[in-house]
Amino acid sequence: MNNINPNLNTNSFIKIKKFLLSKSKYNFCNFIFFVISISLIFNFLTWIFINSNWKVVTSNLNLYAFGSFPPDQQWRPTLWFFSLLSITFITVYGPKWNWLRKNLIFGWIGTVPLGIYLLNGGLGLNPVMTRHWGGLTLTILITSCSILFSLPIGILLALCRRSSIFLIQKLSSFYIDVMRAVPLIAVLFFGQLLIPLFLPVGLEIDRVWRAIIAFTFFVSAYIAEDIRGGLQSISNNQIEAAKSLGLNKHQINIFILIPQALRVALPAITNQLIGLFQNTSLMSILGLMELLGVSRSILANPEFIGQYIEVYIWLASVYWLFCTIMAFVSKKLEQKLTINKGY
Amino acid sequence: MKPILTAKNLTKSYAKGILALNKVSFTLDQGKVLVVMGPSGSGKSTLIRTINGLETFDKGELNVLGIKIRPDSDERKIQKVRRRVGMVFQQFNLFPHLSILENITLAPIQVQKRNKKEAEEYGINLLCQMGIESHAKKYPGQLSGGEQQRVAIARSLALQPELLLFDEPTSALDPERINEVLDAMRRLADQGMTMIVVTHEIKFAKEVSDQVLFIDSGKILEISSPEVFFSNASHERSRKFLNQIN
Repeated sequence: MNNINPNLNTNSFIKIKKFLLSKSKYNFCNFIFFVISISLIFNFLTWIFINSNWKVVTSNLNLYAFGSFPPDQQWRPTLWFFSLLSITFITVYGPKWNWLRKNLIFGWIGTVPLGIYLLNGGLGLNPVMTRHWGGLTLTILITSCSILFSLPIGILLALCRRSSIFLIQKLSSFYIDVMRAVPLIAVLFFGQLLIPLFLPVGLEIDRVWRAIIAFTFFVSAYIAEDIRGGLQSISNNQIEAAKSLGLNKHQINIFILIPQALRVALPAITNQLIGLFQNTSLMSILGLMELLGVSRSILANPEFIGQYIEVYIWLASVYWLFCTIMAFVSKKLEQKLTINKGY
Repeated sequence: MKPILTAKNLTKSYAKGILALNKVSFTLDQGKVLVVMGPSGSGKSTLIRTINGLETFDKGELNVLGIKIRPDSDERKIQKVRRRVGMVFQQFNLFPHLSILENITLAPIQVQKRNKKEAEEYGINLLCQMGIESHAKKYPGQLSGGEQQRVAIARSLALQPELLLFDEPTSALDPERINEVLDAMRRLADQGMTMIVVTHEIKFAKEVSDQVLFIDSGKILEISSPEVFFSNASHERSRKFLNQIN
């Protein structure tokens, strides 16, 4: 201490230190802190239960959940929610049957086309235009589609970045570095405003799909880096063992490297997933009616004007709930992989 | 006896001036067991790893099971060798994310394109031979070192190799666990498997090997029968080495 900063060694510093560390003063500080926190919590709770008006939330629950999805068709997103919930439940608490565990991944992948089919309609269901998609439904759809597309692209980019072919390696490094150097909002603007300009006349991609494409571009670069980290953590011994068994490069990637890298990268990928879920709120700036977009339009309604505190606290808790669920599922998954395989 | 492996003037240098292998030449006949000994850093691991192409070499020629390998041979040719030559590593190198049985059947199913059921039956059969069939559904992390190494031997046998390479198979094991692995290797030798074993286990070398190869600084100093090598080694360096490890 003496050598680090001579100014700290003055008399006054020692006095202050003595004061702060002496037991009675320490208790005094504790007491002050306790009183302040109690009064803060008390004020917050009185506001929540007495002073606030939650009508802005309760009377708009439908909007928050489905946006302007036609009321007679709202069973479709509801059904999708239930399928998501049940597969989450099976993943975390389901039985340990081997065939179930092995096919669960296909169940998860299947939820995305199921969601698109239920929302979009066709094949026996009334078609619903994407401009009626909204609320939590849209937020979850953008998140799940983007993650489903960006995982394989991310894996591919990570493998390319380690490729021995110079051009492929440089191209993928360039892509990853560019994407990580550009802010997400710029990529989203690019997706909304510039993609239509580059497409040939007559071909049009819908706003929601443009958002999903932009998110996929962005997130896959980050996922690629997470997976590259996972790949680097696998010792060279594994590759040698696989080589000595006569497996070729692709077989080594598919059967040895990627499964182990994904297991290592799982916490980091969960992080990306949670970030992605929250970042979908940026789409409200670009006019999509996802959770935040719906809230903003509700706040613009003269009936609820000025009630932004209620709306944002409600929004924060919805985001908190879903992010916590995702973190929880990932943690359970990690534990399962760890216990079963004795890493 | 037909030679299974012929090495002619194998030379490899890691950095300039330092030779890992210096004009190494030897032949190995079918059904024989060759034990490779030498001080650490002598090039014994490098030698055994060049045989299945895990290490490249700069000059010379290898003939493994009739396949000629030169320094410029491509990956595909080396893969042909690897499919017929098994290897067991010091650190076992099992795949931690696959069960024991999956570890063993991965190569037969993917490389030899055998059907799954047949490969699994054969895998269980191999595990029985190694005395660990009860662990088939466990994962490598749940097994002891000796058991893992026996799984590794079973895995290398799954491709029905004509030559087996062992790179210090007992060096990473607890002393108590060494014998179970050596016994398994002994049984293989009795069945007539051609093997090259890098090891410091003198007792094993004396009992099982047909030839002992002593290597130092990348150069073969002596190849002789175990009787001669352990009682009356011709080279001074080998006598000194044997004195030190005894």
